[in-house]
Parts: sequence; structure tokens; C-alpha cells
Amino acid sequence: MEVLGYLAQGFLVAMTPVNLVWMVAGSALGTVLGMLPGLGPSTGIALLLPLTFGMRPETALIAMCAIYYGAMFGGSRSSILLNVPGDGAAVASAFDGYPMACKGQAEAALAISAIAYFIGGLLSTIAFVLVALPVARFALRFGPPEYFCLMIFALAATAAISKEALLKGIISLVFGLMLSTVGLDFQSGVPRFTFGSQELQMGIDFVVVIIGIYGISEVFVNLEHIADNVAKPVQSKFGRIWITMEQWKKSIGPILRQTPIGFLIGVLPGAGGTIAALMAYNNEKQISKHPEEFGKGAIEGLAAPEAANNACSVGALIPMMTLGVPGSGTTAVMLGALLILGLQPGPLLFEQHPDVAWGIIASMFLGNVVCALINIPLAGALVRVLSVPPKLLYPLVVVLAFLGVYTINFSVMDFYLLTILGLVGYLMKKFKVPTAPLILASVVGASMESSFRQSLMLSNGSLAVFFRSWICLVLLLAAAVSVAWPFISDWRSKRNQGEAVDVPVD
Amino acid sequence: MRPNLLVGVVSVLIGATYTAQAFMLPKAMVGNPWAPLYFPIGLGLLMIALGTLLIVLEVRKAVKGVDDYKRPKFTASSIKLIAGTSAACVTYALIFEDLGFIPSSLLFLGSLLSMINGLKAWKINGVITLGFTFGAWFTFVKIFQINLP
Repeated sequence: MEVLGYLAQGFLVAMTPVNLVWMVAGSALGTVLGMLPGLGPSTGIALLLPLTFGMRPETALIAMCAIYYGAMFGGSRSSILLNVPGDGAAVASAFDGYPMACKGQAEAALAISAIAYFIGGLLSTIAFVLVALPVARFALRFGPPEYFCLMIFALAATAAISKEALLKGIISLVFGLMLSTVGLDFQSGVPRFTFGSQELQMGIDFVVVIIGIYGISEVFVNLEHIADNVAKPVQSKFGRIWITMEQWKKSIGPILRQTPIGFLIGVLPGAGGTIAALMAYNNEKQISKHPEEFGKGAIEGLAAPEAANNACSVGALIPMMTLGVPGSGTTAVMLGALLILGLQPGPLLFEQHPDVAWGIIASMFLGNVVCALINIPLAGALVRVLSVPPKLLYPLVVVLAFLGVYTINFSVMDFYLLTILGLVGYLMKKFKVPTAPLILASVVGASMESSFRQSLMLSNGSLAVFFRSWICLVLLLAAAVSVAWPFISDWRSKRNQGEAVDVPVD
Repeated sequence: MRPNLLVGVVSVLIGATYTAQAFMLPKAMVGNPWAPLYFPIGLGLLMIALGTLLIVLEVRKAVKGVDDYKRPKFTASSIKLIAGTSAACVTYALIFEDLGFIPSSLLFLGSLLSMINGLKAWKINGVITLGFTFGAWFTFVKIFQINLP
């Protein structure tokens, strides 16, 4: 009952005219950004972040959430219609969505994608409502050592997402933590790594890091293919975008089965929409009676990843909002935005600013409806964005990025940093060094160091403080397991292969 | 050179430079004088260790003759575009406050479009440059009340 009361209060906040307007605008902007290859949700939110500076905190967060799920939704539009995923999470939608469009079923594919997305989002938001308060209340027991260990876990899980890039992932996160140490140390007043620059005393703003590493570097990567990167002709006239009863019956099972999986993957730090969508696709293929139809326009192959993808995007907001620790690049950007707005995400957000916390949760229900409503009837209009030639688009993205960055500190020092970070991000992508750990580390770095030093103060300098509570031990163990897991699973699969070979064949 | 080996070498160099700088940081005047240095020194040493580990792993692979890598490709045309864009970005930073938002952005966007979209498309480049610059100025200054130089 308590939760329902808070939720009702949240709906009152979310349904104010200004919040509704930003929800609609955010969903539409997000859909458009998500459709454009190379500009995923993280880049999209980062680029649009300055627009939210003048807003009230709840309005800013509602707008960003709308951009987030709008972008997740938009990514699949270009997957279905062009076979060009807007971002990694939309890759699986192309497997069967594009063949459906090729067979003249674009309308059904767009409708299934929207319905799966809507149901996945709705169910996972209900799960969010049930989970948020208990998690936030549990997190009130966290002191500085527990928070430090939690951040270690979140960073380790993100860095360890692939075995091949594990070491490079950890290097990336250490580099991000290094960036977070630039500027005045607020506990002692000592300037660190500022090289006498007044502008650097305030540190390197993580928004600059995010826009540089995601936005500018993505433009640089895309400039490599600009000559052969011509906008494909796109279908923009559609019949009735809806599905038949038979298609509905085929879709509902995969949607209901894969939503919880997507949600759980979203809650885990490091894993993201791409993993959720691909796992959902593979799960459905494995249990299907007709796996041979997958990849040739199977409805289940489109419904499952769409539902999982959106459930994942809702799940990813749980650690960010209840614990104050982002689990992905996109939620790191959103966490950064909350900090800029003067709010500290975490358990106290629910205690001290219930209107903001529950307003955002309520907006997820409404946002899913808004997104579906925008995307089904306006599909034809929105996909016209895909006709914009990249040669015109990327210069605009660069200028928008610079303009956005300037509005944070009103300092041209950020222009130099943005250019350098763009080049760093470009080289990291070329050398296959993951960038998400760097982003996460640059956002949580300052509070991580603060928790570390507060813990040491509590223990008179003894590192044993990190091993005294069971919460710390569990979190450190989870961090160790997440780093070791790729190796363990690799060893197990090798052993299984060995056993399979050893089996004598009669 | 193997790409991961290069990443390892760069990591060690960054770690070593950062650690050296961290040791040179001023000490705190109150409390533990080393308190602001612990975290950076730890990070620097960790970076050196990780970079070294990556180098060792890559050298071992090279000795075993494992060729499980792909060299990143850099074409002359893309390097030219990226270098040109970066130069335009630095120039924008240099002129932004002196010339003001509108003239500097007209030059910046105009030069980017000329480089990326080509000089032949000067008409469309011009229309986009003018439209976007004045549109952005109107949005930020008039709608969001954000002051631009």
C-alpha cells in the first residue's frame, strides 16, 4: 500500500503539463537519435544533456528517461527497415525484423517491435516498483566502506564484460579514475594535476568526458567510412501498422518469457541491452519448434529481443536510482545529470526527494505508452530521419557537442579537452579498448575516492575496514567472481569439449 | 607491433608519468599530509602493473607464434579528415570567445561541412551553416536563456 501511495504521488508529478510535454519531446528526440547509426542512447543523452540544465530535477530526469527509452526504441526502427542497427542493443532486432520488412511485412514488424517493447517495458517497470523501495532501504545500511566496495563491484563487472578485453577494460577504468582525480581535492584543498591552470581546478567535468569519448570519437570513427556512407533509400509509406491475431499469439510467449531475463540482465552492472537482446534471441531459438525459421523473418525472433531490450533498459535504472551506482554508460550519463542538478542518487533520493524518485518511476509507465503511441502512427514520419546523409549529420553533431559542453562551465578549456578526449576515444575504439569502464569510472571516481578516504579515516588507516562487514565481503567476492567468470566459463567449456572428445564412440 | 602490445606500452608510460606527477603533488596542510596522494599513487602503480601484464601476455603470445590479432587500419583519407576536424575544433576554441558564438560557429560549421560534405555542395553547406547556427543561437539564448559570447 505504501508503494501505491508513493506511486500515485509520482503520477501526479509525472502528469504535470510540463513533464508530459518533455516526455513526448524526449521520446520523439530519443527515437530519432536512436535511429541514427553511431548515435546510441548514451551519446544521445549526453548531447541533449545541456538542454535539461534549466529544468527542474524531476522534469530533467523524466526528459532523459524518455530520451533513453526512445533511443532504445529508435535503434530497432533502423534495424527493421534498413538492416542498420542504431546501436548494439538493436542488432538482434535486425536478424528477423529486416527479413520481415523484405518480405513486405514491415508494418507487422514495426507493430510487433512496438508491442513487445511496450509490454517488456511495462512489466519491468512493475518489477521496478516492487524492488525499488526494499533495495533503497537496504542500501541505507551502507557506509563508506560498503559504497567503496559497491563501486569496485560495478566497475569490475563493467570492465570484465569480455574475457578478451578484460585487461584492457580494467586499464580503461583506471584511466577514467585518473581523469576523475584532476582538479582541487575537496577534502584537503590540494590542487592535483592542474598544471597551474585555473580552469582545471574544478576538474574535468564528466559530461566533457562522456561527450568526448562517446560523441566526438563516434564521429571520428564514422568519418572513416564517410565516402561510402550514403543514406540508404528508406520505406516511409506504410499501410496499417498492426498485427494479426496469429502474429499476436506467436509473439506473446517470447515477450513474457524474455522480459524477466532482460530485466535481470539490466540490473547487473556491466551487462547491457546488447547482451539481453542477443540472449533473448538465442533462448527463443533454442526452445522454438522451428529454429530454422529464425533469421528468415520469424516473429518470435523479433518480439523476444525487443521485449528483453526494453526490460533491460528499465532494469539498468535500478542500481543507478536506488544505490547511486550506474551499471552502464547510459545510466552513468543520467547519474551525472542528477549530480549536476544537485541530487545525490541512492537510497536517500527516495527518502529526501520522493517526488523526484517516484515521479521518474511513474513517468516510465507513461513514457512507455507515449513511446508506443508516437512510434506506431508516426513511424513513416520518423524514419525519414534515416534519409539524412551522414556527411551533413556528423558536422552538426560536432557543433552540437561543443555547444553543449560550453554550457556546462562556460569555459573554452572544455573545447580543448573535448577534442583530446575525442581523439583518445577514437584510438581506444581502433585498438579495441572498451570505453564504457572509462565513462563509469570518470562519473563515480570522485565519490569512490571520497568513500575510500572516509573509510580509512574511520579505521585509522587500516584497509581491514573493507573486510569487516558481510556486505563488503559479498560485494568484493562478487567483484572477484565477475572478473574471474569469463576465465571460469572458458575453462569449463574447454573441459566440456575435452570430455566430449574423450567419450568413446561405439 | 601487436596492437595490444602498443596498448600495454602506452599504459605503462601513462602510469609512470602519472605516478611521478602524483609523488610531486603538494601535501595536505591539515590531517594526514599524504591523504590526497594515496589514491592517485595507487592508480598510477595499478596502471603500470596492468600495462606490464598486458605486455608480458602479448610477448608470450608472440613467442608462441599466436597471431590472434588484427591491426587497426588507418587510411590516409580518414586521417586527413580526422586531423582536419581536430584542427577546426582547436581553432574554434581559439576564436570562440574573441569572435563570439555566431561568427565563430559560422566558420566552424562551414569549415566542417566543406571538409566532410565537399566544397562542391557549397549551397547546401551554406544553408545548413546559417540555419543551424542561428537556430542554435535562438534556442539557447532566447528559449533556454543561456548566455553565449
